[in-house]
Amino acid sequence: MTISMKLSPLITLSEPGASRSGEALEPSPPPRPWLWRTLRKPFFLLVILPSLIAAFYFYGIAAPQYVSEARFVVQSKGNDGGGPAAALRAAAGMGLGGLGGAMSSGEANSIRNFLSSLDAVVQANEKLDLIELWRRPEADFLARLWFTEPERIARFFKHMVNVTLDPMTGVTTLQVRSFRPEDSRELAETLLISAEALVNRLSERARGDTLRLAQQEVEVAERRVQESRAALIRFREQEKELDSAGAVQAALVLRGQLEGALAQARAELTERQQFMRPDNPALQATRNRIEALERQISAERSRHTDTTANVGGAVLARQLASYERLMLEREFADRQLASATASLEMARVEAQRQQLYLSRIVEPNLAVYPLYPRSFTNTASIFLGLAIAYGIGWLLITGMREHAA
Amino acid sequence: MMGFREEVALTLRGARMQRRVIGALIIRELHSRFGRHYFGYIWLFFEPLLLGSAIGFVHLLQDHSARFGPFEFYAVGYILYFIFRGVVNRASAAIPSNMNLLYHRTVTLPDLFFARHLIEAVSCIGVMLVLMFALFVVNGEIVEDPTKIILALVGMTLLSQGLALVAAAATEAMEGLERGVHALTYLILPACGMFFLVEWLPDWLQELALWVPTVHLFELMRDGQFGSRFMAHYDLGYVAAWILLTHLLGLAALRITRRRLGLE
Repeated sequence: MTISMKLSPLITLSEPGASRSGEALEPSPPPRPWLWRTLRKPFFLLVILPSLIAAFYFYGIAAPQYVSEARFVVQSKGNDGGGPAAALRAAAGMGLGGLGGAMSSGEANSIRNFLSSLDAVVQANEKLDLIELWRRPEADFLARLWFTEPERIARFFKHMVNVTLDPMTGVTTLQVRSFRPEDSRELAETLLISAEALVNRLSERARGDTLRLAQQEVEVAERRVQESRAALIRFREQEKELDSAGAVQAALVLRGQLEGALAQARAELTERQQFMRPDNPALQATRNRIEALERQISAERSRHTDTTANVGGAVLARQLASYERLMLEREFADRQLASATASLEMARVEAQRQQLYLSRIVEPNLAVYPLYPRSFTNTASIFLGLAIAYGIGWLLITGMREHAA
Repeated sequence: MMGFREEVALTLRGARMQRRVIGALIIRELHSRFGRHYFGYIWLFFEPLLLGSAIGFVHLLQDHSARFGPFEFYAVGYILYFIFRGVVNRASAAIPSNMNLLYHRTVTLPDLFFARHLIEAVSCIGVMLVLMFALFVVNGEIVEDPTKIILALVGMTLLSQGLALVAAAATEAMEGLERGVHALTYLILPACGMFFLVEWLPDWLQELALWVPTVHLFELMRDGQFGSRFMAHYDLGYVAAWILLTHLLGLAALRITRRRLGLE
């Protein structure tokens, strides 16, 4: 195989290595002091020395940073009765995210996003001079703010301001670090105020949206009711008829009576013809009455139903149709108004529930003892990280050298 | 005592030699795994592609995430899992099957693993590129950040490599452990992040899921694929800590193993 061909010169390479190890076995003539040998070890140079430098910086140079912490929940009013109770429950950590319901985690998330955004930085910068605040004379060289561009301030801001949302309880924790306790508290307060303003804006918006829609519905319904009433009045004035349905009723009754009278007259005529002579004047009178009744009935019929006649608006059928349409329209309009009013009421309740509050649980405190920089943790993690990296590097490099040996 | 310059020269010579050894091992591995026909090399690319496509099509039938096509979600995710499975599963076989090579003093134990893992990584990156191109042709969607995808693949290779080194040393010390490793690679499947986004999980499960290092890599890859359509949760520092710790443990354990094998 080609591989073994390539590998074969290797064995010759190991010979100079052997001679080197022979050299190493010779006692080195000037026995260096122990300390000097230790100091030249790569482990010392690459791991211990940087850790010592870090420790020197953290314990000797680094300026103390004071933390101001505030906690708040974003909650909506309607759920679970009172706000403070829910806030207390949340603070005690008993509220489960899904079950408690009082905490609106969506809004809490947007508040968290806002607090780490450039917008929040700019707003805070308008009220407090952030550059000044993070460039106090007591700030040390490494930890102070180096730049003045807004984007780079924002990056530094993200480093110094920490916002965490506990999804279980809905409590948002805001931690602000700076070089003076008062500065930290002031910045935390400013951030809380802008967060509150944002919550109010969101709440106002949500309320406005739902209420405005319902209000518009009600207005439309009201206009429709008014229009239908007006149309009815106009119709009554025009047709000089209060109640078309009543008029029809009356016409029907009249016709019924006429028909009854006609039937009676006909019966009478038939009866009289049995025993009277045809030219008897009494018969003639009955005939005249029948004729008059028939004329009257046909006149009534044509007055009420004959749409083609169109005699002075006297067409009762047409009148009745438009009257019924108007009544139907009025009924619908009434119903629409009723439902729109009900949904406005519901929207009002809903809006009440959608009202958001930012409830402070813990006010920003004035730090006494500087919690940052975490000297021991930082130094230890630097040491540990370097030691692990050194270990891997040593293993890899030793592995490489084994090939050459 | 050697001077600094000599030490560097020795290390460089060793590095060159190691590169040649690994190169040779790669060729040997390819021959022994796929035979000498060119079809074997094609198979190297097709294996993850076929499996990924099959899983993608199965999930095409039971679509539930409207925001991403199931194919691009599961098939692409499967390739990342494939690296993990391929590397960790083969770890316990690496030493026994190459035992005779260890008679050459220039072949060290890590070389065997580096060679295998390079093959896995390169083939999976290749498959990923092919799949991305295919998805681009079919859907017309271009991935949002290819560097994140490549970074996730490399990270997954490194993490798997660290785990594989540990697993290999452990199986060498304890017989029968390789069955446990095999079972574990499948048991981790539901938890590894291939089937879900952290965002979909309930809050308490999210915290648990983020303890699993592969979840971060899946999130990273999907952030590169369609990061604008969901909120990715990942912490590369955590993954880096896992990679470093497993490498330290694994490499150190392999040195002990080499001595135990008694082959010099």
